[in-house]
Amino acid sequence: MIKLEDVSYVYMQGGPFEKTALDHISLEIHKGEFIGLIGHTGSGKSTLIQMLNGLLKPTSGTITVNGKVLGEKSTNLQQLRFEVGLVMQYPEYQLFEETVAKDIAYGPSNMGLPKEEIAERVAYVANMVGLSPELLEKSPFDLSGGQKRRVAIAGVLAMEPKVLILDEPTAGLDPAGRDEILCKIKDMHERMDMTVILVSHSMEDVAKLADRILVMNHGKVEMLDKTAAVFRQGKRLTEIGLNIPQITQVMDGLRENGVNLGEGIYTVEDAYRQLCDLMNLKEQPIC
Amino acid sequence: MLKDITLGQYFPGSSVIHRLDPRTKILLVLCYIVLTFLIENFIGYLLLAAFTVGCILVSKVPPKFVLKGLKPILVFVVITGLFNLFLTRGDVVFSWWIFSITRQGIYFAAFMVLRLVFLMVGTSLLTLTTSPIALTDGMERLLRPLRKVGVPAHELAMMMSIALRFIPILMEETDKIMKAQSARGADFESGNILRRAKAMVPILVPLFISAFRRADELATAMECRCYRGGENRTRFKELLYGKKDLGAGISFLALVALVFAANFLFGKVI
Repeated sequence: MIKLEDVSYVYMQGGPFEKTALDHISLEIHKGEFIGLIGHTGSGKSTLIQMLNGLLKPTSGTITVNGKVLGEKSTNLQQLRFEVGLVMQYPEYQLFEETVAKDIAYGPSNMGLPKEEIAERVAYVANMVGLSPELLEKSPFDLSGGQKRRVAIAGVLAMEPKVLILDEPTAGLDPAGRDEILCKIKDMHERMDMTVILVSHSMEDVAKLADRILVMNHGKVEMLDKTAAVFRQGKRLTEIGLNIPQITQVMDGLRENGVNLGEGIYTVEDAYRQLCDLMNLKEQPIC
Repeated sequence: MLKDITLGQYFPGSSVIHRLDPRTKILLVLCYIVLTFLIENFIGYLLLAAFTVGCILVSKVPPKFVLKGLKPILVFVVITGLFNLFLTRGDVVFSWWIFSITRQGIYFAAFMVLRLVFLMVGTSLLTLTTSPIALTDGMERLLRPLRKVGVPAHELAMMMSIALRFIPILMEETDKIMKAQSARGADFESGNILRRAKAMVPILVPLFISAFRRADELATAMECRCYRGGENRTRFKELLYGKKDLGAGISFLALVALVFAANFLFGKVI
């Protein structure tokens, strides 16, 4: 689905402030996968995702998305951007229309869809991200931060992309808003069969959602593996300014102190289940 | 996309010229500009060129960057040169159809072009070797005596440094918004002027909103740190003239003396 071969990106090439953001990376992401992308600040995460929909052109190397090679003349970038939806950091600052509905419709109308279909899509995605119908006629600037964020995500979703990339979609949101947005993303991933790449600084969120985790460090791919395999390397993760989920730390600590727990617990739900088993308690649904 | 625009084109370095007091540099550049207009013959320009090249070499700024500063005024220089070349009356040396070139025209054109080029190179060298902050600092100190007649020197300098500080922020912001809207399929390049102007709306609206928000936040942050204008404000780094500045002044005076000597010895060309 997405394939990077020996891709590099250098900012301000030749100038006094030259900086290599990506250093000869190669990787492959398959259709329908949920990828968690983690890395310390400045590790090249944002640069990487901006390349995937052609906002940045690689300094060297080739990127293939859905069989199309980026940078070739025959590849229509606009078309590509409809297929690879990108929600940038703090996306609420890109809202501009008079009403929420019009703002969500901006992407689809750029696609040249008929009016009825646009209206249909707007209603559908608004419902999906949890915006009530009466909000649609309001000005986006009158909404709360969390609602604005949802409008912005809906604006990208309305294009029905095959790949959805989210750059820290929960930064600056309260815990309730964060969980809700992540739940919606997971939901959409399953319902629309989208490939999702989620950039996050929260190991907990990534552990809960991702199939595979891509770890970036200083412009290089440090790891790209199943969630369990990545979090088993806690020491290495700490070395590069990352961490393992807090619940994993707690569980590891308990095990070291002789509590009979299995390895590889990355979410609160798993931990709860294990502890219930251990103490012979009846499981009650949480969350 | 937008990162190629170099407004604050400071080229970091630690040469003597970088370390000069910004006031010295500002004053010398002003004198330098005046001097380019006082030169009366080509020997004078040769001296000026030697001095300028020397300064560039000492500053260790790659000549490429200095010449880049000439690019924006290139059209202007060419047009000025052509106007002077064709529209000056005098002794005709060449004529074809309705065009005629005079001896005076050639000299005027050459002088104008040389003046503009040196003017630009001189000021570029100032901005290349002085950080914007140092520049406004120097400006404030130079304007300080004018406070007595009601010129708000500190406020002007503060406004200037804030404006300069905001340029990269707003450029980055524009870049971000452009990317975000491109990701939603915005197209800024095709269509007629009207369509393109309309395509700018999704950029301008968020940009203005964020500019106002940032201005507001900055004002609050300054209030929080009890900013109250220039009255009795002390500075962390006081500007001090040193030996370097004296040296710079003397070498510039030497250039002035040489240029005037050349003017006197070789006379006016025209």
